[in-house]
Amino acid sequence: MDKSFQEEFTQIIKFQPPLYKQRYQFVKDLVEKYKPKKVADLGCADCSLLWMLKFCSCIEVLAGLDICANVMKEKMHTLSPLPVDYLQPSERSLTVTLHHGSVAHKDPCMLGFDLVTCIELIEHLEESELKKFPEVVFGFMAPSIVVISTPNSEFNPLLPRVMLYRHPDHKFEWSQAEFQSWALETARCYNYSVEFTGVGHPPTGMEKVGFCTQIGVFVRKCPQTGESVQSEKPTEAVYKTVFKAVYPSLKDEKYLQNAVISEVIFTAQIIKHRLMSKRKDGDDPERKSKFQPSMDYVSDCLGKLVVERNMEPFVSGNEVYIPLATIFSFPKVNRLCGTFEKLCKLIAGKVTLSSDGSAVMFNIEHENE
Amino acid sequence: TIGLQVSSGLQDLSLRDRGGRRRDFHDLGVNTRQAMVHVQESKTGFSGKMIKLTTNHFRLTSRPHWALYQYHVAYSPEMEARRLRSALLFQHEETIGKTHAFDGSVLFLPKKLDNKVTELFSRTRNGEDVRITVTLTNELPPTSPTCLQFYNIIFRRLLKMLNLQQIGRNYYNPSDPVSIPNHRLMVWLGFTSSILQYEENIMLCADVSHKVLRGETVLDTMHSLHSQVGEERFRDTCAKELIGLIVLTKYNNRTYRIDDIDWDNNPKGTFRKSDGSEMTFVEYYKKQYNIEISDWMQPVLISQMKRRRGNIQGSVALIPELCSLTGLTDKMRSDFNMMKDLAIHTRLPPEQRQRELGRLLNYIQKDDNVQKELRNWGLSFDYKSVSFTGRVVQGEKILQSGAMFDYNPQFADWTKETRGVPLIRAVPVDSWLLIYTRRNYDVANTLLQSLFKVTPSMGIRMNKPNMIEVDDRTEAYLRVLQQRITPDTNIVVCILSSSRKDKYDAIKKYLCTDCPIPSQCVLARTLTKPQTIMTVATKIALQMNCKMGGELWSVEIPLKQVMIVGIDCYHDTVSGKQSIAGFVASLNQTMTRWFSRCVVQSRGQELVDGIKACLQTALRNWSKWNKCLPSRIFVYRDGVGDGQLNTLVNYEVPQFLDCLKSIGTDYSPRLTVIVVKKRVSARFFAEIGGGLRNPPPGTVVDTVVTRPEWYDFFVVSQTVKNGCVAPTHYNVVYDTSQLKPDHVQRLTYKLCHMYYNWSGIIRVPAPCQYAHKLAFLVGQSIHREPNLMLSDRLYYL
Repeated sequence: MDKSFQEEFTQIIKFQPPLYKQRYQFVKDLVEKYKPKKVADLGCADCSLLWMLKFCSCIEVLAGLDICANVMKEKMHTLSPLPVDYLQPSERSLTVTLHHGSVAHKDPCMLGFDLVTCIELIEHLEESELKKFPEVVFGFMAPSIVVISTPNSEFNPLLPRVMLYRHPDHKFEWSQAEFQSWALETARCYNYSVEFTGVGHPPTGMEKVGFCTQIGVFVRKCPQTGESVQSEKPTEAVYKTVFKAVYPSLKDEKYLQNAVISEVIFTAQIIKHRLMSKRKDGDDPERKSKFQPSMDYVSDCLGKLVVERNMEPFVSGNEVYIPLATIFSFPKVNRLCGTFEKLCKLIAGKVTLSSDGSAVMFNIEHENE
Repeated sequence: TIGLQVSSGLQDLSLRDRGGRRRDFHDLGVNTRQAMVHVQESKTGFSGKMIKLTTNHFRLTSRPHWALYQYHVAYSPEMEARRLRSALLFQHEETIGKTHAFDGSVLFLPKKLDNKVTELFSRTRNGEDVRITVTLTNELPPTSPTCLQFYNIIFRRLLKMLNLQQIGRNYYNPSDPVSIPNHRLMVWLGFTSSILQYEENIMLCADVSHKVLRGETVLDTMHSLHSQVGEERFRDTCAKELIGLIVLTKYNNRTYRIDDIDWDNNPKGTFRKSDGSEMTFVEYYKKQYNIEISDWMQPVLISQMKRRRGNIQGSVALIPELCSLTGLTDKMRSDFNMMKDLAIHTRLPPEQRQRELGRLLNYIQKDDNVQKELRNWGLSFDYKSVSFTGRVVQGEKILQSGAMFDYNPQFADWTKETRGVPLIRAVPVDSWLLIYTRRNYDVANTLLQSLFKVTPSMGIRMNKPNMIEVDDRTEAYLRVLQQRITPDTNIVVCILSSSRKDKYDAIKKYLCTDCPIPSQCVLARTLTKPQTIMTVATKIALQMNCKMGGELWSVEIPLKQVMIVGIDCYHDTVSGKQSIAGFVASLNQTMTRWFSRCVVQSRGQELVDGIKACLQTALRNWSKWNKCLPSRIFVYRDGVGDGQLNTLVNYEVPQFLDCLKSIGTDYSPRLTVIVVKKRVSARFFAEIGGGLRNPPPGTVVDTVVTRPEWYDFFVVSQTVKNGCVAPTHYNVVYDTSQLKPDHVQRLTYKLCHMYYNWSGIIRVPAPCQYAHKLAFLVGQSIHREPNLMLSDRLYYL
């Protein structure tokens, strides 16, 4: 069920950007608008829509489902976290899972989603599967929003190379009226509202044919609380998980701790560096330039703090002390930890502190130069 | 004809190993041994004591008569898109099977199809019927180069299946990093792997690899550089620190090399997309990846794309804020504390290294998917590394002024043994300059007193220097040099108060080119510790002596009329344009004096033309010193990258021969060319007392893990305090010496004793290390060929 091919080989009418990209963009815009946390793509094929969606910062759970495991596997590694995701873990958590299974079967792993997308999916379903589809998606999964796209057969005469259907695996292609009546009936039955739109505008003068791809956006009418409904549902798993990636996130204590320690030591070293160079050269005039926001930051922060005596860094013998309170006042550290107590807890035992635990301590005895 | 087929198969075999690079990293198919008759039967040595060794090689076992079947796949009508071709072909999995590798035209299968030509019919999405013809083109035995390359690709697939992350050529485990917050570093443990045909078996050579990553973006680094050096030197410093580094991006899994920084551009700048439209970086990253660029004033990094499909040269613009640095900069490497902290995690002792490796093999063994993939291809591994016996050749006797010394083989160092013994040739220091800043007046005096204390026992006569105080500015140093150097001056010693490179560079440049005088720069702070001052002064005295043409020690070298040549290359990453080849050749029988030249070449030029000229002058000088021409020449060639062996053998070696021919019709010396490689992934461990230890210096390996098509051997010559010792690989690519392999091995090991900057055994033969030193000095500081007046001295030490 490869969406990208189809257009490449059928079009005389060139869509710009290509139609499959327009469909993905449509979904992306929808995500931007409704900010769903959990999104499932049914018939995810080579995962390219999922790959695009992983960059949407509102999404915390992404799932893909396809009847063909091989096509999913081909590019599933693009859904893995990147090295940089480990180096700079993001604030949000994100889990991506791929399941192998049919949209005609219910599996509890598909419960609790906010948005379910079925892009160019239904036309691949056998009649028996299509019959079960509404019950599975609208009745069982019951997400707040469902997006369904499918070819508009009225557009086909404009695609000269299309004989019967746009793809040999298509079991049917619907006219606008056929799709809309199916959609309205489904919406009525499961208490959703539906709005119709599409991508791929018809040529001027032929507006009546409608969009090349017709899209129905279904919104659940009564916002049910997911919990109560879910408890009544069957819990037997029938899908097979073929891929799962948990992205490093600052919500995970392990990554948060690393990030905090690294930021604390880095900040402390900047302060120490400034303290030492001031001692060495006397008070040198501040270097000002447009390319120095972070450094100006440091002096701003330090400037404000001098008022409070106990927050000033100081040198004693071979040791430099940088009060934790000072470090905590740096926005980045502050944002990471939230509270001072949390800061202390996270760095305990990991960063060398003064005997009373109030300051980061550096030994400068063996420092070069 | 089979050979032809195999190589054409190799060309086609891209199978999308990442980046589309098809470089032959393992130098497969360069068969140099077949031309050397005297090593056809055996290339092994015999001297020394046997030692039981194990290694990091694992035997690959495949089922009997295993073969890989290579098919050509044709489409009618012709289909362009690779993915479409795959999709159409894989509609017939019941015929071709579930296990396959296909790159769009070449198909590899672990089983043979019933017919030589199989016709399949598929239909495209728009209902077009396509005939697919699958034709058997080759049955590849497990040892064919294509097959080997194929094994490597399969193995990399396995690593990917284990969820390891690819960075560059290796795979790393991201889930369990070691973080070193003091330096904002993160170390990932990973593996290098290669599968090759070794002496008797195909084996997997796997080694632990560490990737140093930095928890900061390039923009962060720029900020901290700015705060360190100020506005004035900011751009230069950025260029020096950043160009040549490899970065990872926030949004894709690629690595890029920073080749330039475009200061006139910024994220608001536009670029042309592949569809021809223009877009700003800010818009692009927002639209494509939902990434907000916060600093709109930052410059843009430029990365040149090398040889992407069809030789298209292009460049990519990267935003510093979205790039993370990997690896270490030269500056970081010179940070002793950082390297010490890092070494704790990266220098694994033998036992631990093998344990980590065992963990990888364990993952492979335990993972069902991986096992299934291996089974499908009919492959399996021995999970125990191979063991064999090596030899430890006897230690050398160090000769110094009529005396003979043995050194403790465990330390491979004779600093203690030769202390207080006169040097072979001590050059008197009659007239010299000692230059220092006012702040370092005391330090200069300390150095002077210490030098007077240590030199007499070495036999060095030293007069009082001309002591000159200067301001701590580069121009001040240069002015003093211009004014105070006389024709009698033997050497100049400068005490520098910081490791600022520009001052050092300026001094070296002046004294190596315009005014050829040996010079010695010393950092003031190395002279401040009373407990080490004598050691430091001794080292400085020895170095000064070498730079003036003195000789320290020698080892016995039985071959007569031999000239030894060492060559190494330095590639200037900063200005990105120059490559420098250092060329060093012995001048005397005892190998205590060396002639040197270097070749400075801009990008695109071949170094070898310059090397030919070097060889000519070296021969002229040798004959001046020895009143005849050498009858044997040994070339130790370092600095040959992976995959460059073919060029070396087919281009450089003939040039050497040409050069020798040009000397005279009746002159035909015996020539041996040995490629020296320090960066190899083979590791050897001595099984001692039930545990694994580093093998002692002098360990020679010339069986089991060497390559059948080469006359090659490994020598472990040095010792290490921490971690695992790395063997050096020697590949004799050309040899008319008629010497036994044992003698070539022994000569090589002897030469590792002759590096005068270290009274111990080093990793490579001394001429290689000298050539490296020279190339490095020229590449880093001088940027053009030094004055030939200096060429008979080790001024570059």
